[in-house]
Parts: sequence; structure tokens; C-alpha cells
Amino acid sequence: MSTINTLPSAVPAQGQLRRNLVAAAFNLVLGLSCALVLGPILVIVFVSFSSSENFAFPPPALSLRWFSQFFTTPSLTSALLLSMEIALLAASAATLLALLASMALMRLPSPKLSAFLQTLFLAPLVFPTIILGLSLLLFYRVAGIDLTFGLILAHVTVALPYAFRAIIAELAAFDAGLSEAAASLGAPPLRSLWHVTLPLIWPGLLSGWIFAFVVSIGELNTSLFLTGPGFTTLPIEVFGYLQFEGAQLVIAAASTVQIGIIVVLFATIQSIRWIAGK
Amino acid sequence: MKKPIPIKDRSDLRAYRQAALLGAPPIAYLLVFFALPILYLFVAGLKTPDPTAFIGADWTFANYTDILSDGYYLGVIVRTLGSGLGIVLIALIIGYAAAYKMESLKPQTRTWFLLLFLFPLMVSNVVRAYGWMAILGRTGVLNTSLRAVGYDGPPLRILFSMEAVVIGLMTILLPYMVISVLNALNTIDRRYREAAASLGASPWRTFWHITLPLSAPGVLTGTLLVFLLTLSAYITVSLLGGPRFKLLVSLVFDAVQTFQWAKASVLSFILLALALGVSVILILALRPAGAGGRSK
Repeated sequence: MSTINTLPSAVPAQGQLRRNLVAAAFNLVLGLSCALVLGPILVIVFVSFSSSENFAFPPPALSLRWFSQFFTTPSLTSALLLSMEIALLAASAATLLALLASMALMRLPSPKLSAFLQTLFLAPLVFPTIILGLSLLLFYRVAGIDLTFGLILAHVTVALPYAFRAIIAELAAFDAGLSEAAASLGAPPLRSLWHVTLPLIWPGLLSGWIFAFVVSIGELNTSLFLTGPGFTTLPIEVFGYLQFEGAQLVIAAASTVQIGIIVVLFATIQSIRWIAGK
Repeated sequence: MKKPIPIKDRSDLRAYRQAALLGAPPIAYLLVFFALPILYLFVAGLKTPDPTAFIGADWTFANYTDILSDGYYLGVIVRTLGSGLGIVLIALIIGYAAAYKMESLKPQTRTWFLLLFLFPLMVSNVVRAYGWMAILGRTGVLNTSLRAVGYDGPPLRILFSMEAVVIGLMTILLPYMVISVLNALNTIDRRYREAAASLGASPWRTFWHITLPLSAPGVLTGTLLVFLLTLSAYITVSLLGGPRFKLLVSLVFDAVQTFQWAKASVLSFILLALALGVSVILILALRPAGAGGRSK
């Protein structure tokens, strides 16, 4: 190093080299992060198209055999169906509650109370989901609430903050003066909601609903205690297979189906943002 | 004791009435199906265990003292804290560097990278853990690749270990860190850094004294999210750690499987206490830096 430093022309070159190395290191970390985060998902999608009997990487040849087995395995298709039904109901209920909550918060003149309630509505987001599941299991048993209905309610609670965040952001961006103007011109609240607020905030409402749907369809830890044999959601069924029957490739196909649904929904949210942003 | 709400005029009163009407259903819902069940679980931990009922008849602290005086449980608590904080630290270093790089990219490119980090968060964690099983397993992607490049030792046994849990959880939660830090970096006025640089500060000095303190709120959010989510990730821990690797959350699950409700309750609230304690420490540690006004 000292010998290089004695050459005047080498000094800036050395600084340049160090800058390049630092830049390369940052590029490497960003690339590595993407690979670590996306890699496992891509591996599963790739092997689900395998033609082999057992897990092999890379697959010897591609085929759709595991998908056809997935769609002809009743326990898996019924789990997929149940997941979709619960997600549909839970996302709708969560969106409705989140809309009411957001509208209430926007009307509150007290910022302190508003901040407190916002924390309440976001609380299920950071609350350990497995403890929520356990609490609900005990509560349902003691209160005599049917577990099917209870599972939907659990998903509503878990999905609520996601819908709430999307809707309140949209409502905050939209001019509250508009609905006040409608009210001062004599429009009853429901009328101003239907004709003024909803047409303006639909992008937030729809992306809130999709977020809630996505959260519900992937929900694991809360559902763990609330499902049972013959009554499981797809993620719980996948978990059961992985834990007790080994990683069969039909489970990779089940996962890929799930990922496919998410891709479609994710693309929908992004296009809503894009359309609404124009 | 509720303080009377100061009401300025009639429009305020009307606003409160409307807010109460609109807010009543969601608030009632969360009280009944979120707060009440958790409260009930807490009570169950303070009652003598009763195998025939969910909740015993007599009040007691014995459930807590039994567990907190047992070395095995204390060991699991330490392991839970240690692995959680380790995951947070690795995610912070990698996630911060990734976010820092993303912040310097063109907005268009940055958005694409952001989508790459957002998308995996929507995929179920069981699928993402399965991906790591497929990579780290004995005949998994890693061992196959090693063999393909000429390694002919015994296959690496990473799956079903603490390392697998740390790798899996860290990468599953990494996007939360990246997105939180990126949000904070985006709000920093570029002129602060340009000013520091034009006054002769080295990039490292600028980072240490300007960028890092100003991004503290994002670091706090990311750190809190990652730590809290490591505590309750039962599925990931059990799939990647295997049946013998236990964290606090696994013990909660085992207690429920064996219908030991009081024990499950106590373990749950120890877990919540850890979550709360670490959160408070993190908030206290990272708040002052967020003010950005420190002299040194």
C-alpha cells in the first residue's frame, strides 16, 4: 500500500477503486436480498412442474402431473375451496368494518382520541397471531360459538388492519370538504356517502378488500387451533402434509396454485394504483 | 376516570355523534372478538388448572411461579430472545444496505425493486418455509448444487436446526425491514447530505452523522416488526427447526395440544411480556436519535 501511495497518479485511482468496491458491495447486497426473499418461492414453483416421483432439483423433465393430482385430491380441493370462501366473507366483513372505522376517525375532531382508536384498529397487526388463535379457541368453546363461524371471525380480525390502512390512507387523501359541502347542501349522510365519498375512494376500498383477501388466504397461525380434520384451509393442509407426510410434490403444486392466485391479486392492486394515480 | 371532552360548538357535537355511530360497530367487534378473548386467556392463567374445565375455580400465581422457576423454560426464553434478536440484527444490516442502495436508484427502478420485496409478503409463510425446506434439505437445492460443482463430502445438514430457523425467518421477514428503512430514507431531504458533503465530510461520516440518525424511525419500525413477528412464527419454527427445536411459541402450541390451558396462557403472556419489554427498550433506544438534533 505504501509503495502505491508514493506514486501520485495512483492515489485517485485507489480512491476510485475503493468507491467501485463499495458500490459493488451494495449492488451485491441488494441482489442477494432479492434472491434470498424470492428464491424459495421460485424453487417451489419450479419443482411443482416436475415430472419426477420425488423431489429432484433441477427436475428431470417438466409436466403437469402434480397439478392434475392436486385437482383430483378431495382433501386439497376442499381446503382450497374453504380458503376461498372464508377469504371472500372475511375480506368483505373486514372492509365494511374498516370503512366504518376510517369514516369515524376522519370525523373525530379530537386528534388524541383519533390516534388512540387508530392504534386499536391496527393492534391485531402486531399482536402475536398464535396467541390470538388460542384466545379465540378458548373463547369460542366457552361462549358456545361454532368453530366454522369462529374461523371466519378470526380471519376478519386478522385482515381488518390491512383493509383499514388502505382505506384510511385513501380517505385522508380525499378532501373532507367535499362531503361537508354535500351535507351543507342538504344531502343526508348516506346519500353523500354513496354519491360523493364512495366514487372518490373506490381505489382504496378495492385494494383494501384485496389486501384483506390475500391476508386471509395465507393466514396460518390463528387458524392453527381453529381448524380440524375435514375442516382445514389450504395453508393449514399444506402445513399438515409438510409436517407429517413429507414434502410431496403435490404440495408444491398446491403452493403454486396459491402463488398464482396471489400474483393475479397483486397485479390487480398495482393496476388499481396505476389507474387511480393517473 | 374519563375527562369531559371539550366541545367547541354544535358542529363538533354533531361530528362526535356521527363518529360514535360509525365507529360503534368496529369498536364493538374488536372489543368482543379481540380484547375480550385475550383477557379471558389471561384470567385462565391465573386460575388453578382444571383438567375437566377450560378454567379453574381458584385464583393462583402458581402457574407463573412454576414456569419461571424452571430452568428448562428459562432456557427456552433465553433461546427465543437470542434467536429473535439475532434475526433482527442480521435483517437490519442486510435490509438497511439493500434499502440504502434502492434509495439511490431511479424512481422507476426503485418501484420495481419495491414490488419484488412486497410480493413475497403476500405469499403464505408456509409456502416460503417449504421453499427453504426444498433448498436446505438433504437432497435439496443447496446440496445438489454443491455436488454439481464437485463437492463430494457428506451432505450438509442445515435443515432442522437453529441455523435453518434463523435463515428462514430472517429472509421471510427481511422485506419488512427493507420497506420500513426505505420509507424513512425517502423522507430525508437530500440537501442535508449534499451540505455535509460540500463541507468536506466523507461519505462514511455523512452516513454516520446525517443519514443514519434521520432514518432512525424506519429502523425502529422495521426492527419492531421483525422482532414481534419472530416471536409468533410457529409454523416456520416447527418446519425448519424440526420437532426437537423449541422456542417459546412451540411450547404454547404443545401446551394447547395437551389441553393444558393454564400453562398455555402463562407461556402466551410471558411471550407477550417479552414482546412488550423488547419493544419498550427499542423505542427508548431509537427515539432520541430520531429527533436528529443531537450534537454528537
